[in-house]
Amino acid sequence: MLPPFDLSQPQSLADALQALAGKGDTRPLAGATNLVPDLRGKRETCRDFVSLDGVNELRYIKRDGDRVTLGARTTMADILDDSGIRTDAPALYAAAEIFAGRMVRTAATIGGNVCCGSPSADTVPALLTVDAEVTLSSVSGQRTVALDEFYIDYKKSVLRSDELLTSVSWNVPPQNSANLFYKLARRKGDAITVTGVAVMIAAEDGVCTRARIALGSVAPTVFRASAAEDLLAGKALDEAIIEQAARAAADQCAPIDDIRASADYRLQTAFSLTRRLLTQAWKQVS
Amino acid sequence: MNQTEAFPGSIANVNLRQVGKNKPRNDAPTKVHGKAIYAGDFYMEDMLFAKVLHSDRASANIRNVDISAARALRGVHSVLTAADLTACNAVMTDLPGQTGGGTKDTTQPILAADRVRFHGEPIALIAAESYELAQQALDLIVVDYEDTEGVYDPFDSQKPGAAIVYSDDNIVADYKIRKGDIEKGFDEADYVLQNTFTSQYQEQAFMEPEAAVAWVDEHEILNIRSSTQVVEHFRAVANALGIPHNRVHLQAPYIGGGFGGKEVMTIEVWLALLAMDTKRPVKLIQTRENSFLSHGPRHPFTITHKTGVTKDGKVTAMKIKLTSDAGAYAKLSPYILLYATVGATGPYRVDNLWVDATSAATNNLPACAFRGFGTMQANTACEAQMEEIAKLIGMDSLELRRKNFIQPGDPNTTGQIIRSSVWCDQCATQALAALGEQPSNSEHLVYGHGIACYQQSYGRIRWMKDTSESWVGLEMDGTAIVRCAVTDIGAGQMSALAQITGEILGVPMDEITVYFGDGHVNPLAGTSTASRALYMSGKATELAARAVRDNLLQCMARHFEVSPDELDLADSTVFVLDNPERRMSIKDMVKLCAAEGVHRHNLSIFKAPPSEGLDPETGQGEVFPDFTYGAHAAQVSVDIDTGEVTVIKSVGAHDVGQAINLRAVEGQIEGSALMGQGFALSEELILEKGVLKNGSFSEYLIPTSEDVPEIQSIVLESRSGLGPFGSKGIGEPVFAPVAASIANAVADAIGTRIHDLPLTPEKVLRAINENKASR
Ligand SMILES: Cc1cc2nc3c(=O)[nH]c(=O)nc-3n(C[C@H](O)[C@H](O)[C@H](O)COP(=O)(O)OP(=O)(O)OC[C@H]3O[C@@H](n4cnc5c(N)ncnc54)[C@H](O)[C@@H]3O)c2cc1C
Repeated sequence: MLPPFDLSQPQSLADALQALAGKGDTRPLAGATNLVPDLRGKRETCRDFVSLDGVNELRYIKRDGDRVTLGARTTMADILDDSGIRTDAPALYAAAEIFAGRMVRTAATIGGNVCCGSPSADTVPALLTVDAEVTLSSVSGQRTVALDEFYIDYKKSVLRSDELLTSVSWNVPPQNSANLFYKLARRKGDAITVTGVAVMIAAEDGVCTRARIALGSVAPTVFRASAAEDLLAGKALDEAIIEQAARAAADQCAPIDDIRASADYRLQTAFSLTRRLLTQAWKQVS
Repeated sequence: MNQTEAFPGSIANVNLRQVGKNKPRNDAPTKVHGKAIYAGDFYMEDMLFAKVLHSDRASANIRNVDISAARALRGVHSVLTAADLTACNAVMTDLPGQTGGGTKDTTQPILAADRVRFHGEPIALIAAESYELAQQALDLIVVDYEDTEGVYDPFDSQKPGAAIVYSDDNIVADYKIRKGDIEKGFDEADYVLQNTFTSQYQEQAFMEPEAAVAWVDEHEILNIRSSTQVVEHFRAVANALGIPHNRVHLQAPYIGGGFGGKEVMTIEVWLALLAMDTKRPVKLIQTRENSFLSHGPRHPFTITHKTGVTKDGKVTAMKIKLTSDAGAYAKLSPYILLYATVGATGPYRVDNLWVDATSAATNNLPACAFRGFGTMQANTACEAQMEEIAKLIGMDSLELRRKNFIQPGDPNTTGQIIRSSVWCDQCATQALAALGEQPSNSEHLVYGHGIACYQQSYGRIRWMKDTSESWVGLEMDGTAIVRCAVTDIGAGQMSALAQITGEILGVPMDEITVYFGDGHVNPLAGTSTASRALYMSGKATELAARAVRDNLLQCMARHFEVSPDELDLADSTVFVLDNPERRMSIKDMVKLCAAEGVHRHNLSIFKAPPSEGLDPETGQGEVFPDFTYGAHAAQVSVDIDTGEVTVIKSVGAHDVGQAINLRAVEGQIEGSALMGQGFALSEELILEKGVLKNGSFSEYLIPTSEDVPEIQSIVLESRSGLGPFGSKGIGEPVFAPVAASIANAVADAIGTRIHDLPLTPEKVLRAINENKASR
């Protein structure tokens, strides 16, 4: 059963920020696709919410030159309906495609996915591979933080309680690049990711100019496998070096056993999926 | 009243006008438009709302239950615990009309008194002005538990010194079959293969959770409108409360699925107690989380097969040991074990057979009825074993099956002679052909094809002496009415009766009103369980409709000056077969007959063939009225890096005897394709020391719309069944082979067998790696 809670429904960003300011335990509520299950499951203790439903100014997809910006209220369905995301952030598009099921995709927002802080949030590995930044706003101003520096620990981030994540932005990937995402889960729809891997490989003249590898559900937060990325940058990739990088990525994982899978299985698949995606990505760019 | 016993003659070559056609179901418009009323949709003046306190642990003594704060809460009208039920704290979990063969004790406390035996056992009932208040009261109840040592494994629970959960030895039921000469059978074998297969708890996951409203009316009748498969539970409710049977009125509106989970009583007695205590209507809709704890899931089974086979593929002996985990109370475990025992050899004839079957109690969730009812678990193991035998002796697995299929005239496991057609071969052949070519393996994906056949009974155990009644009448305007208390659990039970009646009386389906689900204004039809609803209530309706037809045609024969069999009824007219110009509308016919005092209606009873039970030493005797046969085939891909299995194509081919409504049959096949897929791949209740860890739909993984493969239904009609027009029961049968076919397809794809369902990606990857290592 849902416990009783307070809900304010501001109609503008300014009012929403005002509603969050100065109050103790008040939290934004976007699509509520995390919040409702968490309230029912007694995992969420907050009882005072600010709905973003009426804040339409946070629902947009904008392009400015190479820069793409999503308002925090943009839903997974919006991402799939947009004509450009498939090329502007292929891994993000892939993540939105296998995200939940049709019903949840029409409600779930990008802001909620980033802010829920779950290690299994599917858009986060994808966003990390395009070096996304998030804008955090409050009545006292706004700041921009690299998504890579957003998470501190399991479900903990640098977001302050008076702040709203207002947008996510990134630069369109370079010409000759491949950006892939794979979600391993126990069923195809409405599944919590067991192992999620996103990669970005850019190449010029047969050399890898940029490598990004991000992993989900295999550590307290989604993270970039930086050691593995370093191994690849500046090199012509082959089977051996890809294997080495995948091993390095797996070494950076700190998975747990839970009812969905064992830590061991997560490690194995983090390795094999990283290897697979890097191989596929390299094939695409070379 | 009309009385007929079973086994019809051949009814091939009859010309059907409505039966077997794709008629829109009578219940479709109201459901599609969202108008259909379900148990949870009822509101009454002054209605209270209930909550149930379920135990949060599996094995504990209850030192005290403090309800003082809950009772003191304003707006709370009743808080009941075992202390309030001193006169009557027992409810029978057996089925009405059954004799309880093999069961020592099928009663269960309504509320736990001094001890809880499973996670979810009800401890207190609350009725309040709102659900929120009831929940607040519930949160104020303090239960002082003393945890006790429990037992969580059906093998452990049979060991000396195990904690006792049930009776004095934890044995809920056991059966054996001793047939032929088992030693001789193994001596004749060229190969002997032994394997042990295990299967898991499966949750029914019906769309509509348990829901009911109960009230005591102005005549002091206790009314309960409940989402139940069995309105005959009014007797058990009355017995539990110590009131006469005729003062409990249990009705079932449309039901949002049951699959066996609403076969034994769920929330009816709780609401009855609260309504009687508060003298107000009381309603409860279980939350999904509590629903997981409010009915019994499918029994986990451990099944060991030892099979002797000659090099040319003839099975010479089978020795099978079946063990099921009954959980904390007997419920229907003995019957389910019996079904597994009878179905242990699948659709095969085995002359030298030895079966030992045991159901043992533990502190796990009490398991109960679920589509397939033990036969499915037994068949899944048997079909895995057949595949492994084929691999061992190097024979095509369908060829091996063909050499062993039971045939009409053969004795089955319990010596019952099979009377109806056995079309396993045709079904399997067509299903496999429908899969088409197997795609060639790619870098990460390997493909596999799997087949499984089955034999599954329809109709209740024969010594339960099952009957069903139905009333059919024609109105003065030529429309028809059927009164039959069959519960409509969503499979088209009600609509099928209209289609059968329409066929016989020549009235269009949509001019027939069926009153169903209410056993106090309609004749009792028996349960919508055991794949018996169409067979039994359809047959009773057929008999009643035929009696009405005979009455009227006799009268019309005089009018047309022909003999009755020269007349027919169709398209709302009566006409002379040889000269259709000579006709009259049914409306005029009814008027004419009524004026002559001819009966326009009839109440019929249909009796299933009875038997007298099994010989306890040999397990020989007649158990079921008849069986349905068929096959399912699946094409899968397996990702060798992750172990993920994707079902690509799923084909069910079944001899349904005669389809009454073809689309409804396809609906059953398609639904079972997914339910079986869930059982094979992802569904599993996870218990830790008896405590359910994944009682929600985010962690208990039924297939979603994104998991649906291409599904094809192949419907064959032998017209050899015992149901109306030669139909057979299909609700459970079409489900029986699905999981086995998927498991066989996975084994085919990865080249090795996983003996433990479900086939999670992790288990599949482990098997792939072990197989690689052993090469
Ligand atoms: C059936 C089902 C399937 C699912 N499948 C997936 C899946 O496949 N992949 C996946 O990643 N997730 C999945 N989820 C989880 C969930 O849908 C996503 O995390 C979703 O993106 C959350 O977005 P929301 O708008 O619903 O967030 P909400 O539930 O409204 O909020 C989530 C959290 O973020 C905070 N928040 C929301 N917006 C902001 C903001 N702008 N600024 C600051 N804080 C904010 C809220 O306070 C809350 O703590 C699933 C959930 C369900 C119920």
